Amino acid sequence: MKFKTDNSEIQDFLNDASNFKGTCEGVYFPQNEADIIEILKDANRKNLQVTVSGNGTGLNGGRVPEGGIVISTNNLNRVIEINEEQKYAVVETGVLLSEFHTMIEQKGLFYPPDPTEQNCFLGATVANNSSGAKSFKYGPTRDYVEELDVILPTGDKFTIKRGEISADGFVLKLTTDSGDDIVIQLPRYRMPDTKNSAGYYCKAGMDAIDLFIGSEGTLGIITRVKLKLIDKPENILSCVVFFSDENDALNFIAGAVDLSVNNDDSPDQINALGLEYFDKYSLRFMKEEYPQIPAHAGAAVWFEQEINDYTEEILLDKWVELLSEHNADIETAWIATNDKDREKFKDFRHAVSSKVTEYITREGIRKIGTDTAVPKDQFPEYYNFITKLVEENNIKYIVYGHAGDSHLHLNMMPVNQNEYDLARNIYHRLCEKAVEMKGTVSAEHGIGKLKRNYLKLMYSDENLKAMAKVKRTLDPNLILNIGNIIDPEILKEV
Amino acid sequence: MKIAVCVSHVPDTAAKISIGPDGKNIDPDGVTFVVNPYDEFAIEEALKTREKSGGEVIILSVGSDANKESIRKALAMGADSAVLLKDDSWRDSVAVAGALADEIKNIGAELVFFGKQSVDYDNSIVGQLTAEILGFNCVSVVVSLDINDGKIRAEREIEGGKEVVETSLPAVITAQKGLNEPRYASLKGIMAAKKKTIEEKPAATYENLSEVTEMKRPQVKQPGKIIGTDASAVPELVRLLKEEAKVI
Ligand SMILES: Cc1cc2nc3c(=O)[nH]c(=O)nc-3n(C[C@H](O)[C@H](O)[C@H](O)COP(=O)(O)OP(=O)(O)OC[C@H]3O[C@@H](n4cnc5c(N)ncnc54)[C@H](O)[C@@H]3O)c2cc1C
Repeated sequence: MKFKTDNSEIQDFLNDASNFKGTCEGVYFPQNEADIIEILKDANRKNLQVTVSGNGTGLNGGRVPEGGIVISTNNLNRVIEINEEQKYAVVETGVLLSEFHTMIEQKGLFYPPDPTEQNCFLGATVANNSSGAKSFKYGPTRDYVEELDVILPTGDKFTIKRGEISADGFVLKLTTDSGDDIVIQLPRYRMPDTKNSAGYYCKAGMDAIDLFIGSEGTLGIITRVKLKLIDKPENILSCVVFFSDENDALNFIAGAVDLSVNNDDSPDQINALGLEYFDKYSLRFMKEEYPQIPAHAGAAVWFEQEINDYTEEILLDKWVELLSEHNADIETAWIATNDKDREKFKDFRHAVSSKVTEYITREGIRKIGTDTAVPKDQFPEYYNFITKLVEENNIKYIVYGHAGDSHLHLNMMPVNQNEYDLARNIYHRLCEKAVEMKGTVSAEHGIGKLKRNYLKLMYSDENLKAMAKVKRTLDPNLILNIGNIIDPEILKEV
Repeated sequence: MKIAVCVSHVPDTAAKISIGPDGKNIDPDGVTFVVNPYDEFAIEEALKTREKSGGEVIILSVGSDANKESIRKALAMGADSAVLLKDDSWRDSVAVAGALADEIKNIGAELVFFGKQSVDYDNSIVGQLTAEILGFNCVSVVVSLDINDGKIRAEREIEGGKEVVETSLPAVITAQKGLNEPRYASLKGIMAAKKKTIEEKPAATYENLSEVTEMKRPQVKQPGKIIGTDASAVPELVRLLKEEAKVI
């Protein structure tokens, strides 16, 4: 097994897309599970910190090492089985999501989780419970995980199938593949009723597999995943629509959300796969690369829905009616006529995030971006609150994202240290407000090392300690992904 | 003025292509077909010309029913009408150009747009052939176009620079990337396109002057070799470039 220590060869593993930078002694490139078991057993003996890495697109510093060694999952990248009849796939952790999507779709099947960044590893998307535009209809990664092979921090292997082990109230009993019993006392907090990836998934009677999904590598290294697939939709209607007034855009989204969630599976009624929002500042950012954006646009919405030859015309009419009710500009609305155009709209959505990154790199500034979500009925109030607060403080910003899930990314781009400090305070206030409204500080990016302080807004000391105890039960020597989700100080206390 | 745009329906450049069992055609299974990317510039320029000086934009395409998907897209972008010149069998560039030229004459178009090449066979000659058959002027690989009172001023890309050409209508223009930024099909356009019928007629008979005898994959590239990752590898690299690759 390769172990690299040369700076030029390991520097790629020292940061992620958040730009948080760490250090390590070297990077292991295991070829299989046995290699990982060996590394972890050895690390326990030597009390060595281990950080597991995906493809480094995370936004919370999760894979960034703070000393110790890194385990790369790059070589665990085999697609083991695609079962077209029973509609599932078994893959190793390091298979690229983008390649997996293409492979599956060529077989007429579909894997719905679609984070905006597709250049990530499947195992990492499970570790983060990633979600995307279409999660509005199809749900996050969690809903598609049927089986996991996990190497626990101790080096013991644990295979788990959905539906096999449930918690007895808040007590979970696991048996490792070698027959050791582990009893976990789960925290008793109530998770927000929104899309959420802040902290461990905990519920009375929960399925054991759900504890590992979204645990950001703190409870074990995922080596292999069995994923549920669905039939590829016959066709997808995909439109980017412009509005002069952002209130019209937001009301259109609210209208479409209501129709979609109340849809009783009628294929010829409005039922959006996703509803993505772009404010006027986002559109200004994109204008240079996308001259097709109309000059008067004050906001835009990208929506998609499954269609077939029979429903296409009916649904086009229904969407046009709803759009007209909300003063959308039908003349300039873009529509995809084939898969290639649809990809272009996806790229358009992805371009907002990358334009921001380009801009801040060019200007040499740091951005501060939210990942908060609130319950649907609180969304208009939350939107007004966040935009007003930033406007009042005169900080350059753009806001865009998964509005159908009441989940937006507000990116502040402070130009100097004063503004940066101010933006941090505002960020804190935006998280507080989301929690006050029974929402979450992180709907999809996770907590990692950079957002631990905000998790404290959601859960009491007692609950954070309960989370730390779960971690300690599975990782008694505290060696794996230390610093993710749980403050290391709290870990030492329990 | 009637403006014709000739559109071909080609495998998506991102598609994985394999050769069919007859060894002369690609295997279309699992391959998505799209509007030839250069034709999108042609459609956009035709629409812009119509917006500036009025007229009518007519889409022409030679091929099977499958081409209707690309024709629909062109209509959804804003073209006025379309004719599918039907032929299910394979045609070479000359036979395609012949069928197009007949229909262009038939509808009386004075300005004809093509993409500079179709990315399936990459011959880059159908536009020029059509102009020749019709006796029209022709400017190919155009990146900038200005039409005023029947006078045409076009910039075309040439090796290492640009050439400015002046000519007059009737003319064929073949479009290069950079000519414009193609619009997306619009919701309004697609609603309108649903109501438009695509006229269908058999493509005029023209004899193929060439035939595909065999299709082969390009040779697989040799994998790269990593000699080292720091300065100590330089002498060996220099030796290999001299002795093995013989490039220095
Ligand atoms: C432009 C942009 C847009 C994004 N959009 C979205 C979005 O829409 N939705 C969304 O959910 N996320 C989004 N993200 C965040 C990111 O892409 C996801 O979190 C993704 O799942 C990370 O995958 P990765 O392979 O890059 O993992 P990494 O960044 O390498 O690692 C992420 C975390 O997973 C852990 N991990 C990795 N592999 C394993 C394993 N085998 N076992 C256990 N733990 C493991 C790591 O330790 C780390 O904590 C976006 C990021 C960018 C840059």
